[in-house]
Amino acid sequence: MNLKISALDYVQEVKTGNISAEDFVAKTIERIQSVDSTLNAFLSVNEKSVDQARGIDKKIKSGEKVGDCFGMPISIKDNMCIKDSKTTCASKMLEDFIAPYDATVITKLKQQDAIFVGKVNMDEFAMGLTTEFSAFGPSKNPWNTDCVPGGSSGGSAVSVSALECVASLGSDTGGSVRNPASFCSTVGYKPTYGLISRYGLISYANSIEQIGPLARTVKDTAFMLNLIAGIDPNDNTTIDNKNEDYLTGIESGIEGKKIGIIKEMMGEGIDPAVLSATKDAISKLESLGAICEEISLDMVKYSVAAYYTITATEAGSNLARYDNLRYGYDFPLEGYEFNSYISKARRNFGPEVTRRMIIGGFVPSAGHAGKYFLKALKVKSKLTKEINDAFKKFDLLVAPTVPILPFKIGEKIDDPVSLFLVDINTVTANLTGKPAISVPYANSNGLPIGIQLMADSMNDKLLLQAAYALEQTVSLPEVPL
Amino acid sequence: MVTEEEIEHVSKLIKIDIDDHKEYVEKVRAMIDYFDVLDSAGVESEEISMPEISISNLRADEHIPFDDKLIEKLNHYKGTYVRAPKMSS
Repeated sequence: MNLKISALDYVQEVKTGNISAEDFVAKTIERIQSVDSTLNAFLSVNEKSVDQARGIDKKIKSGEKVGDCFGMPISIKDNMCIKDSKTTCASKMLEDFIAPYDATVITKLKQQDAIFVGKVNMDEFAMGLTTEFSAFGPSKNPWNTDCVPGGSSGGSAVSVSALECVASLGSDTGGSVRNPASFCSTVGYKPTYGLISRYGLISYANSIEQIGPLARTVKDTAFMLNLIAGIDPNDNTTIDNKNEDYLTGIESGIEGKKIGIIKEMMGEGIDPAVLSATKDAISKLESLGAICEEISLDMVKYSVAAYYTITATEAGSNLARYDNLRYGYDFPLEGYEFNSYISKARRNFGPEVTRRMIIGGFVPSAGHAGKYFLKALKVKSKLTKEINDAFKKFDLLVAPTVPILPFKIGEKIDDPVSLFLVDINTVTANLTGKPAISVPYANSNGLPIGIQLMADSMNDKLLLQAAYALEQTVSLPEVPL
Repeated sequence: MVTEEEIEHVSKLIKIDIDDHKEYVEKVRAMIDYFDVLDSAGVESEEISMPEISISNLRADEHIPFDDKLIEKLNHYKGTYVRAPKMSS
């Protein structure tokens, strides 16, 4: 059985009876058992998934209505709540937390008969871009297990790339879906802010984060988006997408579309292989009929500092709820005074979360807010104006997803500022609420390179059409694992 | 430059105990020092724009029954009360 099939092919094969959901899910679980001791993508595996797949097969045989996923095995980043399942956020602080309800995306996928094969690894509370900050150990890149898979949705990207599931859901606060997608050669999608409900996503930086799918193909990504997008009364930042069908017309092409090449994302510090791949991708886009021109977005230079200032501030507020009284781990109350108990309990946060909480207390504080937090908000506003102006001239923007190749595990872990700069090309979409996608494009010495396309808000359909067109121009090697 | 004392003060305010004090302070200071780049962004006169969300979009305030006993999901409770450490006098 070919585990490498796309989500759409899986659905077709099960629908027509060529394969059974039970066999496919059983093979998927076998695959997880075979490779995950090396990759560490999964934090928990759903022991009931094969039984659930058998139930789908029964529904098909009895002629009952079956949801669009037909038992498709999906992995879920461990910061989304699945009722009665562990949701750890890859943190010791939530090691024993059992979610009492389903996130909206989970409800929607359950209604479509998806099967959640497990919860996948991430940087603790989604703070990081390598998955090295997981309290349960780093995930490894299936293309080179000495390298990081990217993050924070590293487990999602690894599980899709290493054939441990057909698709995954991650969350993207500053590139956390696109970065690992680029490093692991999968498609990764960050939708327009508000397109997908965040209800049941454990909060990190609410004003900019979004759930997004990771999949093998752009069409699979559009398929997933069809299932989970739309307004949700439980998240009043969601927007009505009028039940847009992102698959219809995906092959429309990009003839005549104007594409801006973001100068500041192709400059200093870019790896020569990434630069070469990006130039090649631009040539391909031109050969498909697009008109590509350089554009300068001056505020991109300040976007990373603004991003970390804003996200640390929101994280400081969001993580204040972890006092080990309402949520937490087994740590007795006896012998502690209230404040000292909370301080001790919070020692279970990992080093990166602790650092960001301290920063989150510092940058918006009296005496410092004007220098840091308010200035960061002003950069965000000006960047949004710049990008809105860019979209008056261009239909799409292009840049490499990440300016460097996947690097060795441990290589940058002690240098937080050099890690910051890996985010330089992805944070703009989050700060401005625009949709962006990473498309697997090239491979340099066995390491994947992704190309990022960005569109104006609510132009997700156009973005997927362009990504599909670009995807059709490349042929990439098989994952070596 | 941010001082060690400032970082210590904030850590206490947000109730975080730090084991390896020196390492934390150095890394946090490096991160905050990086944010100084914002000084050269030239955005002093920029207005901060915030997305507005209409209150007409709010869901109805309806009671939704929840069958599970949420209190039993807590680590520390007694009867229907959350147990917490004693407050200092």
